[in-house]
Amino acid sequence: MNQVLTDKKVTKINQKYPRHTQKVLKGNYAASESAVLCHSTVIPAYPITPQTSIIEELSNRVSVNKFDATFINMDSEHSVFAAAMGAAMTGERVFTATSGQGLFYAHEVLHGIAHFRLPIVICNVGRPSIPWNIWSDQSDSISQRDTGWIQYYGESSQEVLDDIIQAYKISEELNIPVMVVLDAFYQSHTSENIWVPDQELVDKFLPKKKLSGSEIDLNNPKSFGGLVPPDSYGNFNHGYWNDIIKVEDLTNKVGKEFEKHFGRGYGAVEEININKDTKQILVTLSTITSTARGVIKKHPEVGILKIRLFKPFPRKSILKVLSDSNVDKNKCKIITFDKNFLGDSEGALMQELRRALYGENYFIQGVYVGLGGRDVPPSTVENIIETCKTNNDEIIWIDS
Amino acid sequence: MGQANANFLIQEEKVFSGALSCRGCGWSLLTRHLASLLGENTVYVVPACCFSIIAGPYPLNDLKANVVHTLFAAAPATATGIRAALDRQGKTDTNVVILAGDGGTFDIGFQALSGAASRGENLLYICNNNGAYMNTGIQSSTATPFGAATTTNPGTDFRKTWPKDLMGIIAAHNIPYTATVSLAYLNDFRDKIKKAMDIKGFRLLMIDGPCPPGHKTEPSESIEETRLAVESNLFPLFEVEKGKHKINHFPKNKVKVEECLKLQGRFKHLFKKENKAIVDKIQNMTDFNWKRLKLLEKMNVDLGY
Repeated sequence: MNQVLTDKKVTKINQKYPRHTQKVLKGNYAASESAVLCHSTVIPAYPITPQTSIIEELSNRVSVNKFDATFINMDSEHSVFAAAMGAAMTGERVFTATSGQGLFYAHEVLHGIAHFRLPIVICNVGRPSIPWNIWSDQSDSISQRDTGWIQYYGESSQEVLDDIIQAYKISEELNIPVMVVLDAFYQSHTSENIWVPDQELVDKFLPKKKLSGSEIDLNNPKSFGGLVPPDSYGNFNHGYWNDIIKVEDLTNKVGKEFEKHFGRGYGAVEEININKDTKQILVTLSTITSTARGVIKKHPEVGILKIRLFKPFPRKSILKVLSDSNVDKNKCKIITFDKNFLGDSEGALMQELRRALYGENYFIQGVYVGLGGRDVPPSTVENIIETCKTNNDEIIWIDS
Repeated sequence: MGQANANFLIQEEKVFSGALSCRGCGWSLLTRHLASLLGENTVYVVPACCFSIIAGPYPLNDLKANVVHTLFAAAPATATGIRAALDRQGKTDTNVVILAGDGGTFDIGFQALSGAASRGENLLYICNNNGAYMNTGIQSSTATPFGAATTTNPGTDFRKTWPKDLMGIIAAHNIPYTATVSLAYLNDFRDKIKKAMDIKGFRLLMIDGPCPPGHKTEPSESIEETRLAVESNLFPLFEVEKGKHKINHFPKNKVKVEECLKLQGRFKHLFKKENKAIVDKIQNMTDFNWKRLKLLEKMNVDLGY
């Protein structure tokens, strides 16, 4: 069972985050805690390592009447996402979690959910596919980037908890589903100090789900998902496009609003130590960012660009960081940390960054790192910084 | 000649006119009867099948109720989510009904069907079994009858395996009610719909679906074809209620299977001299299935769940 240590004394930190309780939680429990705080009502579930403890915790809370939700033991991830689709279509706030093979198996339904325009939030605890592996890797979620889902990558488990709350807000405003991604084991099964907001605080920020009017309505019957002929099909894509292009700004707006309520602010990206003298910018997703934060303290010439919103890729925010910091294109290298392998020359982060910086003439280097759960300790980040000082190869495999 | 009155049982029509089915298709007749009994307080869930087209492409809706077109493999799972949501909203009396073909039931949707049945979801599952993937153009499914020719079992490569015993498999899920129904026996069909509606839990009705383009029959022969399937015991009418088997129709004058097969072009190769043994094989299997059914009925158990 989850060990909860509650700090009952009023401490200085308590003044920083009033109306919160400090707990020691593993990443997966932080995700479950957040799903409960968000009043998710339908949880279709299927086990898969390493997300399983997320759904176990939710099932446990339902069984002891501490969580008013319908928990359903489904027969596969394909069925999990199909049930999520049906429940969301009927107006419920749906949550579930999956990993690796589960997400791959649900691929067809992920497209369905996004293009039925259903506001669903899920957690994916990343792991790769074949060769058989259960450890931390982002190939699963990143290979779903074209399904139409918004994707956030949480650096800490505090961020995962906070991301889920913001995700529902954004998802229900745009009717686009959101995937909050966390790293397997390094995050999912590692305990952290986490500030858990009081229920009233969450309720004020995230009110009860408002219906969009497009749900199943017994008094106003409709047909959902009938065959769409060529003369109308593109209209649906265009309507979706009109909303997906709002995600980056909305992420920044909701992140600021979140700060007003909770004291912790978020944006589509975060810049760390980037200025006109920066020689290397490390572009990171998830927990590697924290490791890199420690390493660059000894390297004042190295900065970090953390990507929190991966899909849709936050091009505007990235360009703004680079131009506001007066980064010198001739002296600064941009180095992407790709913890995914998608069968192409570059990893996904490098591809996306190249697309975002097209025509900007930055020197971009791609580093494959931490695949299949290989640890990325500070020494590996040091090694990347040192290697990239002299090595100008387009792609670098750092550990293999 | 007077016009035949097709409305003799239907009190209130719950489908719109203009369904896109082929002439002689079973889907339209079955949904007319089904919808008239279920009423508008119903959500239909439709995986890919002929009915996805018949129900109307965007923005049309053939049924006077909500219709959710879902993914091929996912109808019982989608329906599970809808059921859970409706129940949370207090709409426990709303019918959630799956309308699937045999491919979506016997093959690609089989796991989701087994899952929903095992969970005891409060759903009514209707399988229109026309014995092949008719919507994509007559490819074999695991419901395709022994001896039938399809576009993926053409010519001498006609189907040489027995269709999956889905009724046996679904009954083995210990669900409260499952039954076979035929459009040639409308009163029995309607009684079983009503019975299924009154039972809570997972219920499945298997319909022998006539399909003129797939079975190579004349549209006017659809009802005759399904009648002969029942009278020859190729498609016996029975139900399994709480584990108890009951045969609902005992053919008075036993008809040989060849009478039913002869009507359908998909079996025409069986009537060549060299295939005489195949017809005998089908007759034997049919007799065996009928005997087994009668034995199951004799067991006379009531599990009482």
